[in-house]
Amino acid sequence: MIAGAWLCLCAPLAGALAITGAGERISRRNAGWLSTASVFVAFGGAVWSFLGLRSHGSEHGVISTAWTWLESGKFHVGLSVLVDPLSTMMMLIVSGVGGLIVLYSIGYMDGDDEERRYFAYMSLFVFSMLLLVQGGNLLLLLAGWGLVGLSSYLLIGFWHERPSAVAAAKKAFVMNAIGDATMALAFFVLIAHSNSLEFTTSFATAGHLSSTTVNLVALGLLGGAAAKSAQIPLHTWLPDAMEGPTPVSALIHAATMVTAGVYLIARTHPIFEQARTVELVAAGMGALTLLVAGLIALVQVDIKRVIAYSTMSQIGYMFLGAGVGTYAGGMFHLMTHAFFKALLFMAAGLVIHALSGEQDIRKMRGIGTLMPWTRWAFLAGALALVGLPPFSGFFSKDAIIAAALHDHWYGVVLAVAALGGAFLTGLYTFRLYFIVFGHGQVSDAIDGSHHGEGPKTMLVPVGILAVLAVVGGWIQLSPWWHPVTSWLSPVAATLGVAEPPKSQEVLASVLAVALGLAGVALAYALYGQNRLAVPRLPGVQRALEHKLYFDEAYDALFFRPAAALAGVLRRDFEEPIVLASGPDLGEGALEAGAGVRRLQTGLLRTYVFFLGTGMAVLAIVFLAVR
Amino acid sequence: MLQGPGIVWYLGIAAFLFAIGALGVLIRRNPLIVLLSLEIMLNGGNLALIAFARHAGNGAGQIFALAVMAVAASEVCVGLGLVVALHRRRLAMDVDQLSELRG
Amino acid sequence: MTVSSFTTVLICLPLAGALAIWILPLSRYATGALALLVSLVEVGVWIEQAARFDFQRSGLQFAQHRTWISDLHVSYHVGEYAFSLWLVGLTVVAMAACVGYGFWVGRERPRAYFGLMLFLTGATVGVFVAQDLLLFYAFFEAMLIPLYVLIGVWGGAGRLGATIKLLIYTMAGSLLMLAALIVYGLKVGTFDLVAGPTSPSRWLFLGFMLAFVIKAPLFPFHGWLPDAYREAPPEVTAILSGVIAKAGTYGMLRIAIAKFPEPAHYYRTLILALAAAALVYGSILAFRAPDFRGVVAYSSMAQSGLIALGLFSGTTLGYDGAILQMVAHGLISVSLFLLAGTVERRTTTGQFALLGGMAKGRPALATLLLTTGILSLAVPGSASFAGEFLILAGSYQRAWWWAVIGAVAIVLAAMYMLRLISAVLHEARGSTVHDEALDLRTGELALIVPLVGVLLALSVWPDAISHHSFAGDMPTAVVQEQFK
Repeated sequence: MIAGAWLCLCAPLAGALAITGAGERISRRNAGWLSTASVFVAFGGAVWSFLGLRSHGSEHGVISTAWTWLESGKFHVGLSVLVDPLSTMMMLIVSGVGGLIVLYSIGYMDGDDEERRYFAYMSLFVFSMLLLVQGGNLLLLLAGWGLVGLSSYLLIGFWHERPSAVAAAKKAFVMNAIGDATMALAFFVLIAHSNSLEFTTSFATAGHLSSTTVNLVALGLLGGAAAKSAQIPLHTWLPDAMEGPTPVSALIHAATMVTAGVYLIARTHPIFEQARTVELVAAGMGALTLLVAGLIALVQVDIKRVIAYSTMSQIGYMFLGAGVGTYAGGMFHLMTHAFFKALLFMAAGLVIHALSGEQDIRKMRGIGTLMPWTRWAFLAGALALVGLPPFSGFFSKDAIIAAALHDHWYGVVLAVAALGGAFLTGLYTFRLYFIVFGHGQVSDAIDGSHHGEGPKTMLVPVGILAVLAVVGGWIQLSPWWHPVTSWLSPVAATLGVAEPPKSQEVLASVLAVALGLAGVALAYALYGQNRLAVPRLPGVQRALEHKLYFDEAYDALFFRPAAALAGVLRRDFEEPIVLASGPDLGEGALEAGAGVRRLQTGLLRTYVFFLGTGMAVLAIVFLAVR
Repeated sequence: MLQGPGIVWYLGIAAFLFAIGALGVLIRRNPLIVLLSLEIMLNGGNLALIAFARHAGNGAGQIFALAVMAVAASEVCVGLGLVVALHRRRLAMDVDQLSELRG
Repeated sequence: MTVSSFTTVLICLPLAGALAIWILPLSRYATGALALLVSLVEVGVWIEQAARFDFQRSGLQFAQHRTWISDLHVSYHVGEYAFSLWLVGLTVVAMAACVGYGFWVGRERPRAYFGLMLFLTGATVGVFVAQDLLLFYAFFEAMLIPLYVLIGVWGGAGRLGATIKLLIYTMAGSLLMLAALIVYGLKVGTFDLVAGPTSPSRWLFLGFMLAFVIKAPLFPFHGWLPDAYREAPPEVTAILSGVIAKAGTYGMLRIAIAKFPEPAHYYRTLILALAAAALVYGSILAFRAPDFRGVVAYSSMAQSGLIALGLFSGTTLGYDGAILQMVAHGLISVSLFLLAGTVERRTTTGQFALLGGMAKGRPALATLLLTTGILSLAVPGSASFAGEFLILAGSYQRAWWWAVIGAVAIVLAAMYMLRLISAVLHEARGSTVHDEALDLRTGELALIVPLVGVLLALSVWPDAISHHSFAGDMPTAVVQEQFK
C-alpha cells in the first residue's frame, strides 16, 4: 500500500527527468508514450494504495516518511506521504484523468516543435499534483502547491513566442504566489504555536488557539485555496490561462489543479471548523463566484474561455459545499467535475484541432455534422455539467445545494445563488452547444480546413471520459446511497448542519433540474434552430465582456502603483542619491587631492621646512600636554 | 664614574654638527654637497646617541648608532648612485631643477 | 597530514597555486588548466574535510593555533564550525566554477588573471575560517585586492568608476572595523575570537556592523553594488554576489551577534528594519531594472536583506534558515551570473530591450536559465524556499510584521524573476539574438550543470544544511555561548 503510494508519486517524476535528460535521443512520439506510461504507472500505484487501504482498514491513514526534509530546533518536517481515504481518492482522480489527458495530448500535440518539453512538463505537473495530495504534512502540501503553480506557469506559457501566452503564464504564477504567501503566513502562525506542521498536531493546535488567531490561520489557508481555485477576488488568471494547449486546460485548469483549493479545505477542515466564520466566507465566496462566472460565460465567444468560466463556476459549487460543511459533497463534485469538464475541454480540443487552432465559436457553426462522435461526447459532458439525471453532475451538484439549504438564512441565500447558478449553467452550456454543434450551414472555410475527428489516441480518452461523465455519479445518490461520504468520513466527516433531511434533497433536486432545464430551453429558443432575437442590453453586455472590469481594476489598483513606485524609487532615490554617492565621494576625494597636490613642490627645501615645522609643532604639543 | 667633559659638551657638539648639516641641506643646491650635509646630520645624531649611551651606562645607544651607520652607508650608496646617473645623463647638478616628482 | 591541518591546506593551496602561476612561465592554456586543477583539488580537499567533520560535536574543529604577535596576543588561529564548513564549501565550489568560466572564455593576461582568482579563493576561505580578529581583518582586506584588480582590468566600459566606488565604500567600512577591532582587542587583551569575551560596547558593535552591512549590502549602503555587478566580468560578479556578500552576513553572525549580544539586542529593530528595507527595496528595483545583471544584482541585495532578517531575528529557525539561504542563494547567484555571462557572450548585451526569444532552438540554455530562475524565486519545494521559509517563520516569532513583509517580497520575487526569464527566453526574438548564437556548449554545461545539480540535491534534502549548521538542536544557545 505504502509502496504503491511511493510508486504513484515517483513514477511521473522519473518520467519527467528521463524525458529532460534524454533530450534529442528520444523521439517526440516516444516522449509522449513515456510520459503517458509514467502517469498510468502512477495510476496503478494509486489503485494499489486504494485497494491496500480498503483491505487494511486503517481508516485514518498511514504516513510513511522517507527522510527528514527540513529540521530546525524542535521544528521537524519529514519527506513523507500520507495514504488515507481523502488522498487516495485524489490520487485516483489525478493519475487516472491525468493519464487519459496525457494520452490525448500525443495526438493533439503531434507535429509541435517542442513536444518533448511539453511531455516533460506534463509529467512534472502530475508529480507536483500528486505531491500536493499525498504530502504527509502541511509543508509538503505547500511544496506541491507551489510546484503545481510552477508547472501551470510552464504549460500556460508553453507557446512562448506568443506574448499573450507569456503574460497569461506570468499572471497565473504571480496570482498563485499571492496564495502561496498567505498560506505560508498561516503556517508561520502554526509553527510559532506548536513547532510543527504535521496534520494531526496542527489540527490539535488549532483547537487551543484564540479565535482571532485561528481565524487568521484559516484566512491564510483560504487565500491559498482561492488563488489556486480561481475564486473571486483571485480569479482573473484562469480565463487567461486558456492560452495554453487545450489538454493543459483540461488537466490543470479543469480536472485537477484548480480544484486543489477544495482539497485543501477538506484536508484542513478541523482548522476551518474552529474558524466557522471563515468557512462560511469560503461558502459565500463560492456562491458569488459561481454566479459571476456563470454570467460572464454567457457572453464569451472563445470556446475555451466559456468552459473556463464554467470551471470557475463549478468550483464555486465545490467551495460552497466544502464551506457549509459537506466536504464529501465538495469532493464528490470535484470528482464528477473532473470527468465531465475534462471531457468538455477535450471535445473542444478535438474541434480546435480539427480547425487548426480556431477558437472562436462564431466560426464553428455546423462543425457538428462533420464530427458526430465529438458532438455526442460534448453533449454528454454538457448534460452532466447542467446536472440533468442520470448524468454525473446531477448526483454531486444537487447534494451541495441541498446541504446549503439546511443552514439557516445564510444557507438559504447560498442555496438560492446555487440554484440561480444552475439556471445560468443550463443557459451558457447549451448556448455553446447550439452555436457550435447546432444545425447550420457548414461554411466553406471549415469544410476546406477540416482535419477529421482526430487519431485514436485522442478519441479513446474522450470516449472513456464520456462514459465516466455519464456513469461517474452513480456511485452516490444521497441520501439513500452514499459510499463516497462514508469512505471519506474518517478524515472529512460531514458537519451535522450539512446533513439535509430527505425532503430537502428532493426539493433541491427538483428545483435544480427544473432550473437547469429552463436554462437549456431558453438557450434552445435563442440559439437553436428557430432563433429568437437575443435581447440586447449593451451596458450589461459590455460589462460582462470586460469580465466585470476585474483586470482593469487590479491593473489600476496594484500593478500600476507598484510599477510607478518602482519607477519613482529608481528615478528619484536610487539614481540621484545612492548611485551618485559613489562618484560624489570619488570626486570629493580627487578635489581634496588636487588641493594637497600644490604642497608637493618637488623642492627639497620645502620638504625640509615642513619637516622642521612639524617637529616643532609636535615638540610644543608634547611639552604642552606634559 | 665618567671621566672627561660632561654630557652637555657632547650634546652641544652634536647639535652643532646637526645644525651645520641641516643648513647645508637647506641652502646648498649641489646634490653631492646635500648628501655630505646629510651625513654630517646623521653623525651629529650618532654622537648624541653614543653620548647618551655612555651617560646611561648601557650599550643600547651604541647599537642604535651602529644601525644608523648602516643606514647612512646604504643611503650614501643610493644617493651617490643617483648623482652618477644624473651626471651620465648630463643633467644639471642642481636639486632645485630636479623637481620632476612634484605633484 | 594531520587532520587539523585541513583548514590551513584550504587556505594555502590556492595561494600556493597563485604563486606558482605568477612565477612559472606557463603558456596561456597551461595557466588556465593549472588554475582549474588547483581549484578542483581544493573542492576535493573540502569534500574530504566535510566527510570527516563531526556534526554532532559543538565547538571548533580542524583548528590550528600558532602564536603570531605574542605581545598583542595575536595568533594564527584557524578552524571551522559546522556553518563555516558550508560557507567554505560554497566558496570553493563557486570559485572552481568561476575559474572554469574564466578558462572557458579565455581571459586576457591569463597569468595575472588566474593568479588573482586563486588568491581570491585563498583569502575568502581565510575569512570564513579565521578565528582571530586581526587575521580575519587581514583576510577580509586581502579579499578586496584581487577584486579591485579583477574589476578594474577585466571589467566593462565603466569599470574605473565602479572600482572607485567599491573601493571607497568598502574601505570606509573596513577602516571603522579596524578601529573597532583594535579597541576591542586591546580592551579585552586578546584578538582571539574563540577565547575573547563578549563586549557590551555599542560603538564597537556599530563599527563592525558597518563593514558587514556594506559588504552584504543592506539598504542604504548598496551604492557600490549596481555598478560593480554590471561592470565586473560575469564570473567576478558571480563571486561578488555569491560568495563575497556572504562574508558580510557571516561576519554579522560570527562577530557582531556572537561577540556583542547586548548591542545586537539593542539595535535589533533597527537592523531588522534595514534588512526588511533591503528586501523590499531590492525586490522593487529588481522589478524595474532594464538588464539581466541589474535584476540579479538587486535581487542579491534583497536576498542579503532576507539573510540578515533571519540572523537578527535571533531565533533557532532564523539562524538555520539564514545559513541554508546563504549557501542556496550563493549557488543560485553564481549560476545566474554565469548564465548572464553566456547570454552576453552570445548577444553582446544584457539589455532586455535587445534580448528575447532565446529559448527557441536552445533547449539547454532555456532549461538551465528557467531552472535557476525558478529556484531563485524560491518556488515551494526548492532549497531556497526551505531557507526562506525558515527565515520568515523565525522572523515571525520575533514580530509578525517582518514575516508579512517577507511574504510580500515572495510575490515581488516571482514578478521580477519571471520578467527576467521571459525577457531573455520568450516572446519575439530580440534584435541582438541571431541564429549563430548557439546553445550552451559542453564546456559551459560542465560549469553550470553541477551547480544546478547541487541546488536540486539540496532541494531534495535541505536538511543537509539546516540541521547540520549548529551542533545540537538549539542554534540560539550555541550562538549565546559564542559557538564554544
